[in-house]
Amino acid sequence: MGRFLLYRLLRTIPATWAIVSFVFLLSRALPTNDLLGQALSDDSVGNRGLTAAEREAALLRIQERLGLTGPVFYFSCTHSTTGAVWQWHGSDNQYHKWLKKAVKGDLGQSYRSGQPVTAVLGEALRFTLPLTTSAALLATVLSVVLALWLVCGGPAFLLSMLYAIDALPLFVVALGLLLLLANPDILPLFPAYGMGQQTADNAPWHVQISTYLYYSTLPLASLVLVKLPSLVVQLYDALRHELGANYATTARAKGLSAYQVATRHALRNALLPVIALLTDLLPALVAGAVVVEVIFALPGMGRLMAEAAATHDFPVLVGGVLLMAIMRLIGLVVADTLYFLTDPRIRLQA
Amino acid sequence: MRPRKKGAAQHAIAVGWLVLIVSAALLAPWLPLPFPADSVDLNHIAQPPFLPPSVPDTSRHWLGTDGFGRDVLTALVYGARTALLVSLPAALFATVVGTFLGSAAGFWGNSGLRISIVYWLMGGLLLVGAVEIVSTAPSAWWLLLLSLAAAVIIGKSLMRVPMLRRSWPFPTDRLVLGAASLLSSVPRLVLILALAAVQDASLPGIFLLLTLTHWPEPAHLVRAELLRVRTLPYIESARAIGLSGGQILWRHALPNAWRTARTAFPLSLSALIGLETTLSFLGVGLPPEIPSWGRTLAAARLDPTAWWLALFPALALAATTLALRQLTTNKISA
Amino acid sequence: MRRLLWGLWLYTFLGLLSACNPQSSTSDAVRVRWVRDPESLNPLTIPNDIANQAVGLLYQNLLTVDNQKQEYVPWLAEKLPMVQHQDSLTLLTYRLRSAATWDNGQPIVAQDVAFTLKVMNSPGLPNEEARARFSFIQDVRLDSTDARQFTLVCQGRAPEYAYVSGEYPILPEYALDPQRQLRTIPLAALTQPTPVSLSKYPVLAAFVQRYNAANLDKSPMNLPGSGPYQLTAWRNGQALTFRRKTNWWADRLPVQQPQLLARPKQIDFQIIPDNATALLALRRGDIDIYPMVPANEFNRLRKSESGRQALRFYTADSYEMVLAGFNSSRVPLDDRLTRQALSYLFNIPALIKATQNGMAYPSVGLINPQEKAVYNDSLPLLTYAPQQAEVLLRQAGWARQSTGNWTRRLAGGQTQALELSITYRAGDAAFETIALQLRNAAARLGIPIQLRPTESTLLLGKLRAGNFDIYLRTLSGNPFAYDFSPLLHSASTGISNFTRFGTPTSDRLIKAIVREEDLGRKAQLLRKFQVILRTESPLVVLFFYRYRLVANRRLTNLRVSGLRPGYEVMAIEPLPEG
Repeated sequence: MGRFLLYRLLRTIPATWAIVSFVFLLSRALPTNDLLGQALSDDSVGNRGLTAAEREAALLRIQERLGLTGPVFYFSCTHSTTGAVWQWHGSDNQYHKWLKKAVKGDLGQSYRSGQPVTAVLGEALRFTLPLTTSAALLATVLSVVLALWLVCGGPAFLLSMLYAIDALPLFVVALGLLLLLANPDILPLFPAYGMGQQTADNAPWHVQISTYLYYSTLPLASLVLVKLPSLVVQLYDALRHELGANYATTARAKGLSAYQVATRHALRNALLPVIALLTDLLPALVAGAVVVEVIFALPGMGRLMAEAAATHDFPVLVGGVLLMAIMRLIGLVVADTLYFLTDPRIRLQA
Repeated sequence: MRPRKKGAAQHAIAVGWLVLIVSAALLAPWLPLPFPADSVDLNHIAQPPFLPPSVPDTSRHWLGTDGFGRDVLTALVYGARTALLVSLPAALFATVVGTFLGSAAGFWGNSGLRISIVYWLMGGLLLVGAVEIVSTAPSAWWLLLLSLAAAVIIGKSLMRVPMLRRSWPFPTDRLVLGAASLLSSVPRLVLILALAAVQDASLPGIFLLLTLTHWPEPAHLVRAELLRVRTLPYIESARAIGLSGGQILWRHALPNAWRTARTAFPLSLSALIGLETTLSFLGVGLPPEIPSWGRTLAAARLDPTAWWLALFPALALAATTLALRQLTTNKISA
Repeated sequence: MRRLLWGLWLYTFLGLLSACNPQSSTSDAVRVRWVRDPESLNPLTIPNDIANQAVGLLYQNLLTVDNQKQEYVPWLAEKLPMVQHQDSLTLLTYRLRSAATWDNGQPIVAQDVAFTLKVMNSPGLPNEEARARFSFIQDVRLDSTDARQFTLVCQGRAPEYAYVSGEYPILPEYALDPQRQLRTIPLAALTQPTPVSLSKYPVLAAFVQRYNAANLDKSPMNLPGSGPYQLTAWRNGQALTFRRKTNWWADRLPVQQPQLLARPKQIDFQIIPDNATALLALRRGDIDIYPMVPANEFNRLRKSESGRQALRFYTADSYEMVLAGFNSSRVPLDDRLTRQALSYLFNIPALIKATQNGMAYPSVGLINPQEKAVYNDSLPLLTYAPQQAEVLLRQAGWARQSTGNWTRRLAGGQTQALELSITYRAGDAAFETIALQLRNAAARLGIPIQLRPTESTLLLGKLRAGNFDIYLRTLSGNPFAYDFSPLLHSASTGISNFTRFGTPTSDRLIKAIVREEDLGRKAQLLRKFQVILRTESPLVVLFFYRYRLVANRRLTNLRVSGLRPGYEVMAIEPLPEG
């Protein structure tokens, strides 16, 4: 067992390292002109104009402060009139320094806010994780409940309704909920943005929890609604399949009701395929949902990554990619372990 | 499952809707629409549907206008055209690429494809040469073709040497799965947003992006199917009569894989239409003069009271997706 | 099963009911919508407008702008500086207010200003921008008899030095340099152009380390300023809370001056990136002030019954304009007749109506029509005149082909086609409407124009490199200074003169306007400049915005103005509810 896991880990780590290194090198290869920000771009008439020399000097200072001077990688290739010249730089390069720090858990500082990347990511995760985790849990529980209900003779229109919701992309569902349930013109039931700041700080815990629930209802609902249909349909089909199996017929012959057969016997077998979903679930939990975070103004991982990409805040982007890659790795290992535990027939094949 | 008649009716409706969408998309420039694509009517900004025009001698905006004064009906018709133009080729291409890679991975596994040392060597040399050429003189790509031909000829002659005829396995499965998981380790939307921040929006760009991020899905499906197929007796017997791996894959195993890919195709298409509209909603991917259902929906966000901007494109989107899924379910049950 | 579901519903419903208590906001708090996070409140960097507003609550400059009178007024300084000229130097003598103290009661003295200038010029700190902006300040001379008096020594001479020299937050020396070690290093040693190495000044190196360790980006409380507020909470990307200090130094002044008012007990800035969401929040009463409201939302709210009852609506003529620039170094646009022709294709009145709901006003050039003294009112406003454009195109040598497109013969014998693209920031609805309108108008004449919306980070690089034909952007002017050299002088090409325009005459005129100190002569030069701008047409000013602000009825004295941020949050007086 231990050897099996170790082997899987060793096989996935190089891929993680490769993608993160690739993103890092790509980010450093891009020009850093926009570091100077909008403030020096002179978009107001009154400002004193800077000369080209002043601009250059300021840019150089910034690059020096952020450690963007010097060679990017161990070697480089420069083109001159005599042809390509390969140069070896040794360990005095940006990649080596970054890697050395990254191994120790220091991912550098955000260009935009000057904060350590780990702190920025942690801050975003504090919002994303509760939301995505509760969405995943709620979707799973609800799908089990609904699938059982459907199997035991629930209304057929429920299935059609789920099909209809499934046909819409996440952004349409979220937009629909926002425009219907947080609109003073229609139904102002829920808040339109944010996570409830005023009361949350020094209120008793039950108020905090209810505030959190109140504010996260709509984002949570849109995430759950989008995930629910595929889960319910999958589970429903699996349950029907299991109920048609011999053991279920036997159980029913013993006099159990359809509900009892479904919950006591069929459900456990039908849930097995859900493990496979775990591999994709973990990185998705961390990645957040860009669309929902944009629409409901939540400061989560998805928006952080999108903004970091848009504003070329590369340390944050590289850090985020690293985090997601690691989560994926963990997801793979957990899924493998679960498979290993549930089905001992699976062994080292390769 | 359901009574046969009801299924047939649903199927007919689905096909009917898809035919309507496709013909509207193809015939868009010749349809009698009162407003040309992308024209701005600055006199009618965010007008509700069905109202008569406020300025005499102009046509009526049957489904209203958005906040820019663009006709919603026109945007819907041309949006259908975009959905087809972008998603259909991308879905086709992704399915072809996915089928090819998935079947190779499933059929050969990690040890099924053995390549002799000669070709390993030649391949390595070619790779180094390619990197050198691309980094120094990208215009000399024809040199690559020449050296490829040379490699094949030299390889053939070197095969005579018995020592070099030994072969090593090529880890097809591991490579394909690795590439797929590499792509999926960064969430797709973040990847696309990051690329949008370094590159301009363009039609070929979004086509490539959609293909690149979507091929793993058909690849996984086809790979699973081929894992099953390759143990079937008729493949065993094909092996027994001495057909090469490539021949078996191409003539006997792939037709099976095609059926899986074909069944999954409408699903791919609906997923890509959803993705394209999401991107347009977020304002990345497509150039702005190209109308899209997602863009009309994004206009609804600027104007919460304009229900017509949200309702019509959402309906069109949902109907198209449902129709495509209906096709798939019919195929599965048939 | 059914019972179970019922139970679930009931629980959810109860949970919601208990949660539905609206935010109990303290009535003395003013809640303002911000479109984004300020990202950093480091007084050295101030990366954006929003951070600027927040830093203004925590720290004080020597001078500030009175947005009602639209002029500079003393803030920490006692009055505007006394200006003297000495050869090529300008000497500006300031005196700090006698009442001004830091939070610990120590007086604010000239040494604090010297300390601030050293921090702004020290290597190893994120001060590159500040250093570049204030590089004209060479040295500071302290007065030996008066601890509050000092003289700034400035390189060169320009009328605007008098107020630009007072536009940076003054930092407390005692908080970061209690040992007063920086006093041993002269300012002139740091402001010199050659790079200063930290290893030469161990004292400075230790200070840089202390400064960076204080993490002022996110915790400005580590460096308490002289402003009336302190930051009490910052939930990243969500909200910032500022609380009024109980004993702020200006409370002890006998006469209340408008720039030294700080009425609200608490200011909450709520970060809501999405406009529609912000509007919903305003209507639900979750926020009190919504500055820069989109035009159609503003009008719709103003017309609605519920909006009129709960809200107050303000507009103010701003100095912020939308303009289209032509790349005058690229082939089809390198002659002024073609540029003039294109400028007749903007339907400015219709655009004002469509994008701003009429809440904007046109101008003949870069000068705001409100500035009657310098605005050239003898020039006519641009009209939408496609026929005129056609005439001008023919004059420029273009000929319309049978296909409907325009071509002209070049000297070399090749033919050149009139095909253009228009570049603007992606996601801006107003720009998109303008671009679409121009595209439609040009298409009717047979000129194809492609739209190129671009992410803002990419956009700047493209504009600098001259990689565009036409661009759209906003530009903020002000009533104080008319320095067009960053925008249109040929020396700024590739830096900030995106149009790459510049003739010897225009260059001379721009420099003369900057140097001129006599107001009458300056007005004459400016009128001449507007005429040149029209004939050369390197850019077209489409309109100036009218700022729109919606606020809760219970707020008064917002001091709404056309200068960013468009209101004065510290002056607001919340009426008691009821």
